[in-house]
Amino acid sequence: MTLLQWKPAYTLGIPSVDHEHRQLIGLINEAYAQLEGSADADAIERCLEDICTAIAAHFALEERHMREAGYAEYAAHKDEHEDLLDQIRELMDEFAADPEAGRATLRQRLADWFGGHFATFDARLHEAFGDH
Amino acid sequence: MIALLQTIGRWLLEPLRRLLERGFGPRLNPLNHLGALNIYFFWVVLVSGIWLFIFFETSVAGAYASVEYLTHEQWYLGGVMRSLHRYASDAAIITLVLHMLREFAYDRHRGMRWFSWVTGIPLLWLVIPLGITGYWLVWDQLGWYVALTSAELMDALPIFSESMARNFLSDAALSDRFFTLMAFMHLIGLPLFLVFGIWLHVLRINGPRINPPRALMAGSLAAMVVLSFVFPAVSQGQVDMSTVPDSLGLDWYYLLVYPLAKAWSPGWVWGLLVGFSLLLCALPWVAPMRGKSPAHVDLDNCNGCARCADDCPFGAITMQPRSDGQAYEIEAVVDPALCMSCGLCTGACPTATPFRRHSDLVPGIDMPDLEAAALRESILQAAAKLEGERRILVFGCQENAQSRRMKAVVNDAETAILDVICSGHLPPPFVDFILSRDLADGIVVAGCPGGDCQYRFGTEWTSLRMARQRDPHLRKRVDSARLALAWEDRWHGCRDLPDVVAALRATLPAAGQPGEPSAPRQPRRALRHALAAAAYAVFFALVAWLSVWPRFHLIDAGHAMVSLSFSHAGQRVRECRTLTQEELDKLPPNMRKPQDCPRERLPIRVLFAVNDATLFEGTLAPTGLWNDGSANLYRRLEVPAGTQELFIGMSEREGADGFDYSLAQVVDLGPGQHVVVEFDSERGAFEFRRE
Repeated sequence: MTLLQWKPAYTLGIPSVDHEHRQLIGLINEAYAQLEGSADADAIERCLEDICTAIAAHFALEERHMREAGYAEYAAHKDEHEDLLDQIRELMDEFAADPEAGRATLRQRLADWFGGHFATFDARLHEAFGDH
Repeated sequence: MIALLQTIGRWLLEPLRRLLERGFGPRLNPLNHLGALNIYFFWVVLVSGIWLFIFFETSVAGAYASVEYLTHEQWYLGGVMRSLHRYASDAAIITLVLHMLREFAYDRHRGMRWFSWVTGIPLLWLVIPLGITGYWLVWDQLGWYVALTSAELMDALPIFSESMARNFLSDAALSDRFFTLMAFMHLIGLPLFLVFGIWLHVLRINGPRINPPRALMAGSLAAMVVLSFVFPAVSQGQVDMSTVPDSLGLDWYYLLVYPLAKAWSPGWVWGLLVGFSLLLCALPWVAPMRGKSPAHVDLDNCNGCARCADDCPFGAITMQPRSDGQAYEIEAVVDPALCMSCGLCTGACPTATPFRRHSDLVPGIDMPDLEAAALRESILQAAAKLEGERRILVFGCQENAQSRRMKAVVNDAETAILDVICSGHLPPPFVDFILSRDLADGIVVAGCPGGDCQYRFGTEWTSLRMARQRDPHLRKRVDSARLALAWEDRWHGCRDLPDVVAALRATLPAAGQPGEPSAPRQPRRALRHALAAAAYAVFFALVAWLSVWPRFHLIDAGHAMVSLSFSHAGQRVRECRTLTQEELDKLPPNMRKPQDCPRERLPIRVLFAVNDATLFEGTLAPTGLWNDGSANLYRRLEVPAGTQELFIGMSEREGADGFDYSLAQVVDLGPGQHVVVEFDSERGAFEFRRE
């Protein structure tokens, strides 16, 4: 079972951003699969680090597109990005500190964490970018 | 040799920087804003110049009077504007020289930065004539001296066949047209090229600092206004060409080489100026910078976010269409000819994070000389050796001599010092990594002292990134109390890097307890203000002092000045010959000129003597491409005052004895008197003219 599913409706129309969204969904699903399976804590940590790196780069790219397009809600969206990056770092540290307890919380929060951002902020971005 | 000069330069500038830092703090330290101050002074000159021009009369008769009116009748405004005009332009020379010295001493003139260095040299050649034409326009006695000496210098160049200096020997020879030309050069011509030159000078750098901080602008303007009231700029007496002023207050900032023209021949003066300029131009290549590897882009890790391009201080990174077929629009491309290898791009790259163990730590853009992976490795190794409760990792930029020295001193059990290329080379996630993985308890980042970064923006970008105001932000979860940026105001009470380390260690929160950081003691506010005020006072006192003092003596005491100034066409090389009818018939009808005259003329010989002692003797060649023009003589001589017999003789025929024209006269010469020896070609007679 996969956690997140890419939907055509997610398409922003910016090929690079859409490409990375798909990649990120893939990475999160992979992490989830590792959690569901019997992967060791170290492998899961590495997965989280990949997500952290990919998402930091992705936000940087998305921010550039938002700035270039003069996106009105840039500041709020940017703040959300920074919060998300802090949160994934929290998740990483929490998991590293206590992998057994971490597994359960991680399984639950992984979907909320990225899915939530995707549903709200990037959906608004979609409204702004999707039309052209 | 170059390295020694640079060491001497730093040895001169470093104490000055430290002293000024105590008064102004690192952010406002004027030594960090020399180029921008220069441009600011130029603005002051421009604005005050516009006011002066409104009242200035561009004519021989009107120039002096209109400047006198401005200075005295309108002393509260026009006079102040005139003083601001002078003092701002003098101040600009000091900042300009310091700017050059600083860039040279701190090794910022070579490598990829040669362009800014070399394009700065022509600016000197624009600024100095700008000042010279300015003094000329005032047309007081200094203006006359400037005109005369400038013309003598110009005469040494093979441009004009007639002597330009002869225009400035009598009122009759002087024309208003000359003032129009000077005004054009001073008001439009030179400033236009100067603005263009400044644009070129900063073209290759990213985000050049054109304006100094407001506090410095306000402070220096206030100091200049005070100076203008206390010691206003004034003219030095109306031009009287019959006497030479005993001494003149010379503006040494602009007229430094003029006294040389008295002792040396103009050719040597030009040689010195051109030679020195060429030497400066060649400086970046005399000892070329050791090659460093430029930044390297790894396309698999580059999604085109452009942060590196935004942060590059030298405009070496451009974003260009994707070349590898990945689903991204653009990619970063490094121009190796512009890259200074500072690593600020790696510090900006979102993929330069040590939390990458699954894949190799290869950021989208990396420094081959010190890769991010190697940096992480050195951190892990150093951390493994640290012991104690308050372990500190110090990141020292390679340019920072302090951090190099400290490496030998402070590598104790609780402290380790690691290299980064520049403070801005350290990506913020590394700070998060070290503190969250408990690799150390505190981090010190050392940049160039005083926040004057070798790579322009390293300290500034790092401050902003760590303050979460510039990408990539340091994560909010990182405890800033554990991070000390050694160049920041907060730490500038510490004299040296070891002091910063000690201060951070003292304020580090004990394990488990959030600490309240207490900044090191800073100089008292009153003391700081007093130091800053003293710095302004000293600077502008120097400006005013060298603008009129030491005074220059045009001629030695007890002497008069004699100018030999005339032109005369010598005889033709042979007599004209009348052609016979037979010869004429052979010529085409339209060319039947009855006389055949050679164009070429003979040189003339001139001798000038005082009481039978020869002061000048020379053979003057005719001018013109065909040697068919008149021979010109201009020579300025000093003659002891008193009753003297002057003799001038001229021979038109080479090799002949005696003189075709001569004049001997006993003249009573007063000290400082100016006598012009002229020749009236029509009457064929010499004259010793005293006005």
